[in-house]
Formats: sequence, structure tokens, C-alpha cells
Amino acid sequence: MRKNFKFSLEKGDLLPTLLMMPALLMILCIMIIPLGYGLFLSFFQVGFGKTDFAENFIGLTNYLKFFHDGTARKAVLNTLLFSAGATAGDLFWGTLGAVLLLEINEKLGKILRPVITVPLLVSPIIVGLIWRYIYDVKGILYWILGLFGLGIKEFPGVTSASTALLCTVIAHWWQVVPFVIIVMTAGLLSIPEEFYEAAYVDGAGAFQSFFWISFPLLRDVYMVVLLISGVDTLKVFDIIYSLTGGGPNNSSITMSIYAYSQAFEQSNLSYAMALSFIAMTVTFLAFGVPFVRHNFKKHKE
Amino acid sequence: MQYRRKWYMKLIIMLLFFLALIWTLVPVYIIISNSFRRTLDMKIMPPRLIFQPILSHYQKIFALDSFGKYFVNSAIISLCVTMITIFFGTLAAYGIKLFKSSLGQHLSNILLLGKMVPAITILIPLFMMMNRLKLTGTYVAPVLSHCCMSLPFVTWLMASFIRDIPMEILESASVMGCSRMKAFWLLILPLLKPAIASAVILVMQSSWNELIFSLQLTNLKTYPLTVGVARYVGAVSVDWGKCSAAATITMVPIIIVGFFMQKFLVSGMTAGAIKG
Repeated sequence: MRKNFKFSLEKGDLLPTLLMMPALLMILCIMIIPLGYGLFLSFFQVGFGKTDFAENFIGLTNYLKFFHDGTARKAVLNTLLFSAGATAGDLFWGTLGAVLLLEINEKLGKILRPVITVPLLVSPIIVGLIWRYIYDVKGILYWILGLFGLGIKEFPGVTSASTALLCTVIAHWWQVVPFVIIVMTAGLLSIPEEFYEAAYVDGAGAFQSFFWISFPLLRDVYMVVLLISGVDTLKVFDIIYSLTGGGPNNSSITMSIYAYSQAFEQSNLSYAMALSFIAMTVTFLAFGVPFVRHNFKKHKE
Repeated sequence: MQYRRKWYMKLIIMLLFFLALIWTLVPVYIIISNSFRRTLDMKIMPPRLIFQPILSHYQKIFALDSFGKYFVNSAIISLCVTMITIFFGTLAAYGIKLFKSSLGQHLSNILLLGKMVPAITILIPLFMMMNRLKLTGTYVAPVLSHCCMSLPFVTWLMASFIRDIPMEILESASVMGCSRMKAFWLLILPLLKPAIASAVILVMQSSWNELIFSLQLTNLKTYPLTVGVARYVGAVSVDWGKCSAAATITMVPIIIVGFFMQKFLVSGMTAGAIKG
């Protein structure tokens, strides 16, 4: 990989460079320059009004503060928990749904296909809102649980610190599992039918043929879904913002929510910047290398 | 498929099918139907399927909170974002294809890493910069920020479609004396029509549904619908009547657009994942 690392332009590379310029310039101005500015800010004590940088240099204080801030540590832990739970569920339910979608007959599949794209088009803030209504103490979930003799004691929902994060994960599943189903269905359909027939002749059951044929062949698809879902869930904001707002008692607070509230509710701009940089670092540490490596591999093929 | 089914397996599959249908559609139905209910009736369980629909929530949000304007704002922002990102993204993707050296690969990696930057990390400094430039509260701020979030994805998507176009087409075009840009307009772009349709629906929905940038970079004059919805969501209580009506107005148009462009929606999502 290192060997290819050269920035010399070969003949005829001027036009492609120019073609990429507008996109790169936009990324530079709206992403990279603000990131640099933000990193700069995180070493100073600044608010919305104060702009005197020379006097307010505080070095790494904001980053050190992070290690003593219980809420921030909780936010990191919650973000990782949310991401792990949400991604694992996405892959599990998505695979299950895709297999089911292929098992049902064509007519029903034609009904189900457009239906499952609906959650994907709903804004995450509305997803949070919908589930907030469902989880409402007098809402539909507790009515249904009531039919089975269960109540708020057995499943405290968003009112308790123990289950609030789980509630947000379920709302996330509702929205993202359809995406995984669609991708997995396409992946499963790309596997030649003969493989399954051969396995059937050899006496393999449905589960065996899934684990020994579909799963290995779909490894790349799983990898991509894992990357997309993993990165998106580490950035989660909207669903939690409208469903729990991070509460109760910060039990569902995530990095993005905490940084947002530090910046725009507490006006701790520099501390919020430091927090959001830590959030970004977590994302890069978790998924940066596999992300680029995957892109590289695909490009070479 | 080829396994012979026992009757109970068929029954279980049918049951799961209906469960999936209910699981997906009921939450959306609840909010839409609630927007036509009196606020008091929303707390009645089990929810009545037949009720006297009222429009007062809609009247309130249109008359008191100018949701009509928010709707126009959302439309303007998402259309601008869609056009800008697809134009620049397609050019960039064609650039990646044309590169002979590995520079294109490195540049596309940089673009791709942009996908991993959390919105909040950019939002805070961008907010201060936009404030300094007096651009908060104009359409420029949300449009640029949404573009920046979507551009890496569009480039990635278009590049994965362009990769499938055989190099021979370009080579034969150059033999015929066709410049590379001319080949792009005459040969590549027509082949990319379905890809562009996929990008249109995916980018449009992500901009239409975007919240965090719009929340801080817009003001009363340029609020999009999602911010309008967010303003009804309190920390403790929610005004369910207005909220449901606002949510319905926000999600129904994009669901309808998505329904008609469903083929492209699905092919866009699978292209991203299957082809990488």
C-alpha cells in the first residue's frame, strides 16, 4: 500500500484533478477549515462574545477536564453501547428480515417491499417523536403490555435509567433495519441458486446452508453494513434528542448530545469543541482504518 | 424456495409477514391519525379506529407558526443541496475514474473520511464562522453544510456506478477524436441517468430530514420543517397535537416522493453496499 503512495502527476492527470477540485474545495472550506478552527478553539477559554485569544489560552485543560467529568465518561460509554447494540441488532434483524422476505411468495413480497422503505424516509427526529408517543406512560405500548398483564414495573421504558438507552436502540432499529433488509436481500439474490441446490442434495438444512453458504459469501456485504451502521450510530443525535433528550438522569446521553448541550445550552464552546473532537477520535479509532482499507481494496479490483 | 414446506411453517411465515407489516406501518399511522384527533382523544386506549377528524392542529401550525414558510424553506434547501452535490459529486467521481496515478485514490479516501466526521464537530466552529460572516439565518449556511455532509456520499455512489462503465468506451471515444469532457457529456452522463436518480432521492431525503445543522444555522425566516417539529418537543412535555400535525407535514411529502422513486432508492442503497 505504501509503495503506491506518490503524489506525482502523470500525463493527463490535470483534467481529473480539476474535476475533483470543486468537491475538494467545498470539503476544505466547510469541513477541514472549521475542523482546524475548532481544534484551535479547544485550547482556549472562549464563549460566544469573547474573542480575545491571547489572554485565554488554557492549553489542554479542556481535554484534561474530560477525564474528570463523570457525565462525559458516561456519554462515551453510552455512545459505544448504543452503537454496539444498534449495529448488532441491525445486522441480526436485517438478516432475519431478508431471509423472511425471500421465503414469502412473490405476491406478498411485492406488498412488503415498498412498505419497508417507509421508515427510511422518515426524519430521525420524527422517529424519536413517534417512539416517544409509543413509550408514553398512557401510550399504546403499555396498553398492549397491559393486555398481557405487564405494566410499567416490568418494563419502565423511558422513565427509568436502566432501560432508556434500550428504548432509543429499539427506535433506531425500527428505522435502520429496513435498510439492512434491502441490502441483504440484494446480497442473497446475488448468490447462485445452484449452491443451495447442491447443499440440499448433500442433506443440508436451511440453517446449515445459511451458515455455510450465504454467510461466507456475504462477508463483504456484512462488512459494509457494519461500517455504515457503526459510523452512523456513533454520530447519533436526532433520535435521542427527541426521544429522551439524554435523560432520565443522563442515562441515555451520548457524545453528540452532550457536546451540543455544552455548546448551545451551557455556552461552554471550547469544552464542547474538545468533547466533539474526542467523539470524532473515537469514530476514527473504531472505523477509520477498516473504512479506508475497504475502499482501497474495492478500487484495486 | 426449493424446500418443501410443512403447513405450520407456512403459517409461521404468514404470521411473521403480518407482524412485519404492522411493526413498520403502525407507528407511522399512529402519528398521522393523531394529527386529526383532539388532544384529549390521543390518551384513550385502545385508540379508536373511527373518529371525527379535525383540522384544528393544522390550522394552528399554519396560522401561528407559518409552517407554510417552513415547507418552502425545506424545499428550497433540499433542492439546492441535491443539485449542487450531484453536479460536483458526479464530476469528482468522473475525475476519480480518469486518474492514471494513485492520486485519485488518495483524494477519494480523503472524501470518504469526511463521512466519518460527526456533524457536531463541524457544527460548533462552523456556527462561529457563519456568525462572523453574517451568514446564519440565510439559506447559504444550511445549504453549504448539508452539501458538505452529502458530497462524500454522492461521490462515492457515483464512483461505484462509473466504475462499472468499461474503459473501452472512453478509449474508443478518444480514438474518434472526442475530448474527455465531451465524452462525459455525450457518453457517460446518459449512462448515469439511473445512478443520478438514485442520488437525487437519497440526497433529497437526507437534506429534507436533516436536523442538527439546521437547528443552529437557521433563524425564524429560514427554519426548515424539521426544526419546526423540534421546536414543539420540550424536555418534559410535548404538544402532541401540533407535533403530530407538523411531523405529518414533514414526512408525508418525502414518503410520497420516495414511493414513486422506490426503484432508484433501493438500487442506490444496494449499489453503495454491494459494489462498495
